Order: sequence, then C-alpha cells, then structure tokens
Amino acid sequence: MAADQHPHSGRRQHFHRGRRGQDRRGDRRPSPPPQAQAQAQEPGQVEQADVDRIVKDIKARIAQRHGIDLSAQQIQELAARRLEAILDPRTVKPGLLDQLRKAAGAPADLAPAEPADAYTFEDHTIYDTHNGLLRFLRKLLAPVLKLFFNPNPIAAALNAQVRVNREAARREAERERAQAEWNALHYTVLQRLVTEVSRVSIEMQSLSLRLESLTARADFTERRIRGLEAPPAAPPSPARTFDTPAVAPPAGAARPSPDSAGGDAQASEGRRRRRRRRGRRGNLPGGDTAGGGAALAPAADLAESDDDTFDDGPDGDGPEADDAVPLSPASVVVAPPPADAGEPAPSAPSAEAAPEPFERVEPARPTAPAPIAPAFEPPESPGAAPADSTPPSSEPSDR
Amino acid sequence: MKLAVVVQRYAADIGGGSELHARYIAEHLAGHAEVRVLTTCARDYVTWKNEYPAGETRVHGIPVERYPVAHEREPRDFARRSSLVFEEMHSVADELAWLDSQGPVSPALIERVRHVAAESDFVVLFSLRYHTAFHGARAAAGNAVLVPTTERDPALGLQIFGPVLRGARGIMYNSPEERALIQDLHGAGHVPGVTVGVGSQIPAAIDPSRAAAAFGLDRPYLLYVGRIDVNKGCAELFDYFSQYAARCDRPLDLVLIGTPVLPIPDHPRIRHLGYVSDQDKYDVLAGAEALVMPSYFESLSMVMLEAWAIGVPVLANGRCDVLAGQCLRSNGGLFYSNGREFEAMLDTLLNDPALADELGENGRAFYTAHYEWPVIERAYLDMFERLAAGAPAGRMDPLPGWLAARPRTARPGAAVVDAAPRGPVPTDGKRETAS
Repeated sequence: MAADQHPHSGRRQHFHRGRRGQDRRGDRRPSPPPQAQAQAQEPGQVEQADVDRIVKDIKARIAQRHGIDLSAQQIQELAARRLEAILDPRTVKPGLLDQLRKAAGAPADLAPAEPADAYTFEDHTIYDTHNGLLRFLRKLLAPVLKLFFNPNPIAAALNAQVRVNREAARREAERERAQAEWNALHYTVLQRLVTEVSRVSIEMQSLSLRLESLTARADFTERRIRGLEAPPAAPPSPARTFDTPAVAPPAGAARPSPDSAGGDAQASEGRRRRRRRRGRRGNLPGGDTAGGGAALAPAADLAESDDDTFDDGPDGDGPEADDAVPLSPASVVVAPPPADAGEPAPSAPSAEAAPEPFERVEPARPTAPAPIAPAFEPPESPGAAPADSTPPSSEPSDR
Repeated sequence: MKLAVVVQRYAADIGGGSELHARYIAEHLAGHAEVRVLTTCARDYVTWKNEYPAGETRVHGIPVERYPVAHEREPRDFARRSSLVFEEMHSVADELAWLDSQGPVSPALIERVRHVAAESDFVVLFSLRYHTAFHGARAAAGNAVLVPTTERDPALGLQIFGPVLRGARGIMYNSPEERALIQDLHGAGHVPGVTVGVGSQIPAAIDPSRAAAAFGLDRPYLLYVGRIDVNKGCAELFDYFSQYAARCDRPLDLVLIGTPVLPIPDHPRIRHLGYVSDQDKYDVLAGAEALVMPSYFESLSMVMLEAWAIGVPVLANGRCDVLAGQCLRSNGGLFYSNGREFEAMLDTLLNDPALADELGENGRAFYTAHYEWPVIERAYLDMFERLAAGAPAGRMDPLPGWLAARPRTARPGAAVVDAAPRGPVPTDGKRETAS
C-alpha cells in the first residue's frame, strides 16, 4: 500500500525516498510501469515485493552457487564434535583432557614454584632448638662434642644436598612449565587441524556435489545435443535449402593446390565434419537454438582445431576461429572455399573470385599448429569437394 | 486514570533502548492520564553511579521522582555471577544474587513503588531484567503492567522471572517474537498481553542534502545507527563490508552514527560521524541507500522503524529473530545470515532501485499502520481498559525462603534459552521455523 493512500499520511509530510542522496538516484530509478502505477493506486492490492520470496530466492541462488554453506561457528561446532570423537574418553584419560583444555586456555605459569624442602643448613643448625636453655647447653658443650668427631663435613654435605634439591626442583618446575606449554600448543594445533580438516571435508563434499550437478547437467546437454542431431525423416525433396551449392563452383577453382590445402584424407575428413556441423547449425530452428549450438561447439571444435586451420579457412564462426590460429583481417573477408558455397552466407563473394584470395591467404598462416600428417590415407582429389558438400543423411552422431 | 512508570534510568539526554522507550510512552500517555515516573539517580547503565540529584523534578513536563542507588555495580562480581547463572547449574539464591549484582538496587524506589501502586490504576514497569522492574513488579502486586523489552538473552532463561511474568496484570510486548519466546519459556500465555512496540518522533522536515553537505557524504552509502559494539554485530558488519568493498568496486561507503565501544577499522570506505543530533540523524538516514542493522539481539529495533518511517529500506541480521520478523511482516527490508548473503542482499538492493523503493514504501506503510503514535497510544489505552474491566491479576508466587532457594537445581540460563524455539513469527503468531 502506498503511503499516500494511508489515512495518517496527510498529517505529516514524510520525506520522500526519491530525494535520497541528493537526488543521486533520481535519474536512474526506473519509473514504474503504468500497470504497476495503476496497482499502486488501488487500495487493497497485494504488494509486489515479497521479502520472504526474495530472501529465499537469493539463498537458493547462493546455495546453488556455493554448495553447502556453513558459518564459521557451525564449522567450529562440527570440529569440536570431531575432536571429541578423536579424544575418546574411553581411550584417553578424561583428566588429561581437562588438563589439556585448561592448559590451552590458561597461560603457563612462568614463575617456577619454590621447592617445599628448601631448607638451609648451617654449621650451628645441628644445635638449634626452640628451648633456649637447651640451646645454651649445646653451645656450651659443642667443643666437647667436637672432640669425638668433626660435624663440619656433615653440614657441608647437607648444604650441598640442599643446593642439589633446589636445582632439581627448579629443573622440574621448568620441565613442567615447558610441558604445559607444549600440551597447550599440541591441543591448539590439534584443534585447529581438526577444524581445518572439517572445513576441507565440507568443501570437498560441496565440490563433489557440485561436480555431480555439473556432470548431470553435462549429461543432459549431451542428450539434448543428440536429440537435436537425430536425423529427421527427410523427405526426398529436390528443393534443398543447404548443403547443395547455390552456385556451382568451377571444379578447378574450388580447391587449392594439394600441398597447401593438405589434400590428404584426414584433412578431408576434418573438412567433411566441419561441413556437416555447419549444415546442422544452419538446420537448427530459431536463433536461440543456433546460439545454443554455437555455445556447444567449442568442446567439439577443440578436437578439430588442427583441421580447422587448414581445411576451412575463415568461416566467421566464432568458436572455431578462436580455436584455430588467429586470422588476419584480410583472411576474414576472403571468400570461403567453394565447398561452403552452399552455406547460407549472403555476404560471401562469388565463387569465381574465391580461389585467388584463398591461395593468397594460405601462406599467411605460418604460425598455425602443424597439421596432423595424413600418412595413412590417400590424398583426396580436388574434384571430390562438391561431393563432400552433400549432407549425409545417415550422419553418425559423433559429438 | 493514574499511571506510574518505573524505569531504571530516566532523563531527556538518555538515548536509546528501553529508557527512551519509557520516556516516549510516558510523554504520550500523559495526554490521556496522570503520569508519574519513578526512577533512580543513575545515569550510567554500567556503574549505576548516582549522578542525578534525588527528589522530584520534571522532564518535558512529566513529574519524575528519583531515588538513590544503594551500591554501584561491581563488574567482577557481576561477571562471575553471570557466568554462574548463565552457564552452570545453580540455585534460585544464585539468581537473586545475580540480580542484586546487576542492579540498580534502590530499596527506597521499591518502597515508593509499593505506596504508589496503591494509589495508581496501573504501574508500568520497563525492562524486566533489571532489579527495579523485578522487585517493582512484586511491590506493585496486582497493578503491575510489564513492558519486558526482552531479547533472546540468557537472562530470560532464569527461573526467577517466571513468577513475575505469570503474576503480572498485563504484558506489553515489543514484537511477536518476544511474546512467543516469553510464552515458550515461562508459560505466561494466560496473562493479558498485546504486541504494541513503540513509535518514534520523526522531524517534520528532513533534508538529506543538508547532511550530505555537512558531513561530506558525496557517495552512496549504507548507514548504521547505534552503539558501535561487538554485541551489536558491528565487528561482523565491518568484516562483511570490508570483504564486499574488496570484491566490488561500486562506490559505496559505510557510514556510522553512534558512540564507538569497538575500534572502528581504518578503512577508506568506512566513515564514522560520531554522535549527531536527531535532525542530523534523520537527514543522513534519508540519504542512505539502506539502513543496516547487524545486531544479534533486539526486542525491537527502533532505528529500523525510523528508517521505514521515512521510506528507507533495511538490511538486517537474519540471525536475530525479531529483525527478520520485522522485515517479513513489513516487507520493508532484506535480511542476511552470513557474508555471502550480506553481499547478495546488498547487491539486490543496490542493483534494483525499484525494489529498494518498494521496500521503503512498504516499510513506511508498515510504520504508519502499526507504529504511529495514535496507534501506540490506542493500544495502551485499550489494554488499560481491558485490564480494568477484567479480573484482577492472580497472586504472584512469593520468593522462595532461605532454605528453599539453596538447592542447585536451576538449569543454566543460556541452555534454557537455546532450547526455546527459534525463528521469526511472520504473521499469525506462530513460528515459521523451529529448532
């Protein structure tokens, strides 16, 4: 419903959207068609825009284009589940898992803890006591005791032991800290690896689905091509519209010299196939279908590109010309060979003029890929060219 | 008719959220009833520090009583208690302690609500998750009309809110999604309620060329209005827009209006205008190609309504049920769920100006039909009439005693909310999708 149809709209002048952005969209905004205007003026009409449908369409397009579409969070959740499966509590100690998780989240304790038994041992330690009187008596009688043995080596040994203990504790703490850091690193690396594996497997799944889709589409296209190529029940009519030369070319002028034209059987075969394809294209009903044929042509032409270069000369057929060597502008305007005279090409010059430019153009293609040497078939005589132009009624569906 | 409005903060310079919602409602209902606002002296919603003087004052002609907050919020304690009640099994006592920790705790205000409720026809309490609304609703007993302004927040999964919602006299919902969520979680379907929302104050004259000249907006732009915060989805928006700008050479800027909490990326196509006046905001909004609303949690997006009020289409985060629902109900905007969809939806809006115009017009019609002030006022007045004519509210379950509140049997709030059905509510009050 248009806003100006609403009963409240007369109370306040809403800003009109048409002025947005300094009229930046004023010129390029298409005016609604008269029908739409008429609909907008009728109250109670259903709105044209349906957000639900638009959003679903866009999502479907994205899904079709990208396959499975998961957010980063969904991938993380998926990876977490896979990680749980990998770190199975039945095979891995559960406490260790918790410790690993905590170690991954918490910074390692950089200050090594002071060993609990970090006592000191001095010369007078053996006489220490909390009782003052006893301490005095021991101190008093110490020289007497030293008459029987020397306690100093014992004190020194114990002091050394204290130092050893402290050093061992420090090393142990350092080792544990390093171990905790390694554990955290290992856990983080493992977690990221699993996440990455999950992401890659999802992408692989998406790509395989896409591949399946493309394969199905290619199969469909193949079947469609075959359907189009299926020979119609052609009535034996003398009035042929194509493949019959409109102007009978002179036999001698129709063919260049055998050397330059590759008068071998393979080249002749390639030429024959090319003519058949042209015939089919010309036979396709409607421009749309013809366009579809042109679109389908390159895959087949790729296999024939060597032949194309030397057999047909420039025929103006985009994909074929593209697949062959680049042609000079002069070569594009030269007349097609006489074999193509039957093709519906009204701009083609007369057949009499064709040989001379054709022969002149031939050497202008030195960079063409080397033609496949026709070693196993005899060269085709030039006089056979018109016969090739006859469309085979039982043409094999080779593409 | 006498009405009392209870809200955690109230002032003319407090913008956005439920406080602005409360002020608009109070000011518009003042034409139909004797309205009095009860609030705290706090201005900052993080600390609840007493900044306004206690006592009675007037804001835009409405009498306002302010009461001091007993203690400011202790962030560490609040974070610890939030973690406990949202993520672990806990007790009702833990939930009550969380509520106290969140604040604003004002015993004087609650005591005043108890007295005012006896003199007023209805006490309208805003934002259920705050201490003022929770204990105020209990103090107001059978006169409490809640405006919960809740979103898909773990706090809504706490047990303590159930009795308050079920025992209220009426509930004014912001959106069908909010209503569905509350009914799913707390079974408050028997309480009289209506989905009403809030309107806005659209300036009479809007001139985008003025804003373009003032701020140098010489290229088409996408606009975000609001607090620039991670919780509002701005980090994700920056990410999506940067990717879009890198892939597309279309001259399009992202213009931001609002206070930044999040560092704004130094990007040539992202422009921050800061905090601007309402007039400037509407001028800039009118010149935008679209308004973008990337928030994950909303109970109602007022800025989306404002965009629709002036015919600007919206691009919203579809992971927020409310935003997606608003777009679906209005046919006034598109919504996305990830970066690819963001780009595709944005391209659709920009490549098809006729569609964008149509969405804007749909949004304008939606706003006019549902969010114009006469519509909102009528909804409130109808609700009050209905409540006055109907049966009094049921008795609100009392808080459990000291011993009964101790067992740790309450599920984590986040888990409770996550288990609730999701999805927008397009038309008939039923969710389209559920998980």
